Amino acid sequence: MKKTLVLLLIATLAMGAVFATGSKEAAAQSGPITLRLSWWGGDSRHTPTLKAMEAYTAQNPNVKLEGEYGGWDGYYQKIVTQIAGGTAADIIQIDQPWLAELASKGDVFATIDSSMVDLSQFDADFLKNYCTYEGKLLGLPTGTNVNTFIVDANMLSSFGIDPNTKWTWENIITEGRKINQKDKTAYFSGATPDIMRYWFEIYIAQLAGAVVDNNKKVAFTQAQGTEAFTYFKRWFDEGIVAPFSQTSLFYQKFQENPSWINGKMATSWTWVSSMDKDIGARTMETRQFPVMAGAKNSGVLMRPSQIFVVNNNSKNKAEAIKVLNYLFTDAQALELLGLARGIPATTIGRSVLAQKGMITTMAEKATNEGIAQAGLPQSVYQMNSEVIQVMQDVIDEFGFGKLTPAEASAKLIKNLEATLATL
Amino acid sequence: MLTRKRYNYTGYLYILPWIIGFLLLQLVPLINSFWYSFTNFQLLGDPKFLGLENYKKIFTADPTFLQSLKVTSYYVLIAVPLKISFALVIAIILNQNIKGINLFRTLYYIPSILGGSVAISVLWKYLFMNQGVVNNLIGQFGFKAVDWLGDPRFALGTISLVTVWQFGSSMLLFLAGLKQIPVSQYEAARIDGAGRMRIFWQITIPELSPIILFNLIMQMINAFQDFTSAFVITQGGPLKSTYLYGLMLYDQGFKFFKMGYSSALSWILFAIILFFTSLTFRSSESWVHYGDSL
Repeated sequence: MKKTLVLLLIATLAMGAVFATGSKEAAAQSGPITLRLSWWGGDSRHTPTLKAMEAYTAQNPNVKLEGEYGGWDGYYQKIVTQIAGGTAADIIQIDQPWLAELASKGDVFATIDSSMVDLSQFDADFLKNYCTYEGKLLGLPTGTNVNTFIVDANMLSSFGIDPNTKWTWENIITEGRKINQKDKTAYFSGATPDIMRYWFEIYIAQLAGAVVDNNKKVAFTQAQGTEAFTYFKRWFDEGIVAPFSQTSLFYQKFQENPSWINGKMATSWTWVSSMDKDIGARTMETRQFPVMAGAKNSGVLMRPSQIFVVNNNSKNKAEAIKVLNYLFTDAQALELLGLARGIPATTIGRSVLAQKGMITTMAEKATNEGIAQAGLPQSVYQMNSEVIQVMQDVIDEFGFGKLTPAEASAKLIKNLEATLATL
Repeated sequence: MLTRKRYNYTGYLYILPWIIGFLLLQLVPLINSFWYSFTNFQLLGDPKFLGLENYKKIFTADPTFLQSLKVTSYYVLIAVPLKISFALVIAIILNQNIKGINLFRTLYYIPSILGGSVAISVLWKYLFMNQGVVNNLIGQFGFKAVDWLGDPRFALGTISLVTVWQFGSSMLLFLAGLKQIPVSQYEAARIDGAGRMRIFWQITIPELSPIILFNLIMQMINAFQDFTSAFVITQGGPLKSTYLYGLMLYDQGFKFFKMGYSSALSWILFAIILFFTSLTFRSSESWVHYGDSL
C-alpha cells in the first residue's frame, strides 16, 4: 500500500515537472508561424488592432496572429506573471515606466536595431529617452502622449471665470475659488489623491527640477517641499479641490466620481491618451499648465503612449519584429490603426492620418501644446512603483490634514530616502 | 490480506482528485513560498538567499505591517462576531413555523450566493459613496451626508458590513443545528417554568455550541485572509484605514514584485491564523458541548 502511495506521489510530482517545462520543450516551428500579441485597451483599440493583424496575415499567409487583449486593470500583473512563467506573448504592449523596471531584472525584451525596423521614422531623442535601457533599444513607441489640462469652459463662464484664462499657480486660486464660493458642492479641480500627487510632482519639478533625480537622490530641499505643500494647502482651504474624504474613493478613477460626471468639477490634469474617456459626455477644452517664473523644469510629462516590445523568449523574434515594422510603418496598417494608440510617433504615421483627415483637432491641439510645454523626462527612480507609493502615502496624510506642510515635507524626504536606499 | 489491500487502494482512488490537486496546486507552491520567504525573489530573475532578512525587516522596519495587522485585527473583531450573531438570530427566526418559510430561507441565502465578488463590492461602493443611495436615504430624514467610505473612522466598519451581509452559509448551519435539538428538551424546560431567554441560553446555545465553534473558526480564517472588498472598494484607503493584511500581501507581491518579502508576510499570517485557531480549539473544551444528551 505504502509503495503505491509513494509511486502516486512521485507520479504527480513528475507531472508537475512536465507541465512546468512543457512550454520550453516545444520545438521551434518551421512552416506556419503563430505569433501572439497582447495589449490593453477598450474596443476602440481592440477592433482596429485586430483588423491590422488580419491585414498582415492576408499579406503573409504563413503567419497567424493571435490577439490577447483586455482592460487595464491587472494587465501589468498578468504580463509580469506570464514573463516569469515563460508564457508571455511574442509581442507585448507595455507602459513606458515598465520598460526599465522589467529590463533591470533580466534580458526579458529583444533588442531592436535599424536593420529590422526603419528607425528614421521615429524621433531619435524619443527612442533614446524612453525606449532604451542600458544603451539597447528594447521597444518602439506607439504614439506621443503628453499631460494636458482639461477645462469645462461653460462651467467656468457660468461661475464668472474667463474660460480663456492663461493659468498661473496664483490665479488657479484667486479665480478658481469663485466656484466653491458660489456653490459649496462644486469645485475648480476634480483632483483625487492620485491626481494631487501629479500636481505636486509638477510643482516640485518647477521648483527643484525633480522629486527624485537620476542619481537616485531626493532632488528637493525641506524648504522647497514645505513651499509646495503650503501652496497646495491653499487648494484645500480655499475650496479649489474637494476634501480627500469625498474623492479618495475614486483613487485612480477620478472620471467615475459623480461630481465630475455631473459637471460639479471644472478642470483636471490628465493624459491626452485618456482624455476622451475622462471627458465622457461633457464638453471640455484643453489648456496649458501653469509654469512659475524661473521654473527649472515645466514638470509637464511627455512619453510614449505605450511601447511595443518583443519577448526575448519568443521562438520567432525576427518575424515578430517584422510585424512591428508593419504596424508602425506600413501605410495600410497605419490607416487601419488610426488613433487607436494616440497620434502615431512615426513621421509616416502622422502624414498618413493627416492626409486622411483622421487626426481630431482636439487631440492634435492638446498634443502640440503639451509637446511645446513638455519638461524633462522623469528619472526611472521617480517612476518606481514603491517611490510612487511613498509619495502617495504622504500626500494622503497631508490631504487628510494629518500633517502640516513642514511635517509633510520632512516625512516625504525621510521616507523617500529610506525607500531609495533599498532600490 | 488481498481484500484489505484492495479496500485501501479504492479509498485512495476516491480521494485521488483531491490529492493531485493538493500536490500540484498547493503543496508545491507552499514549499516554494516557504523557500522564497528567505530570498529576495522578484518574479523575474533568480532569487538570492537572504536568510532571515525579510522577517527581520517586517518586524523592525515596516510601519505598514503594524498598520495592516491593526486594521486586520479590528476587522476580524468587528466582522466575525457580528456575522455569527446575525446568522444565529436570522436562523432562529427562520426556524419558526411560518407560512412560506422556505421562501424566506431562500431569500436570506441569496447574499451568500452572490458572495464577496467584485460586482457586489462595486455595488457597495455606489451604495455608500458620498452621493450614494445610503446618504440619499438618510438625507430624506434630514441627516447630513456621511463619508462612509472616505472617512478613515468609518471606512473599515462599512467594509465589514459586506462580510456580515454574507451570513447565509453560517445561517444554514445554524438552521440545521436548530433542527437537531430535541423538542422534548424545550417541552421539559417549559413545564419546569423556564422563560424564553433562559431556554435560549441554557438549551439552544449549549446545543448549538459545536456549530458556533465551527462557524467561528471558519469565519475567523476567512476574515484574516479577506481581500476583495477592501481591494475593490477602497484600495486600502483612506489613510490605510482598510489596508487589510491580504491587501498588503498583494501590494508587496504584485505591485512592487517583492515576492520573497510577500512570501514571508504570508507565512507570518499563517502563523497568526494557526495561533488563533488553536487558541479557539483549546478554549472550546470549556464551552462546547457535544451532543451526548440523548
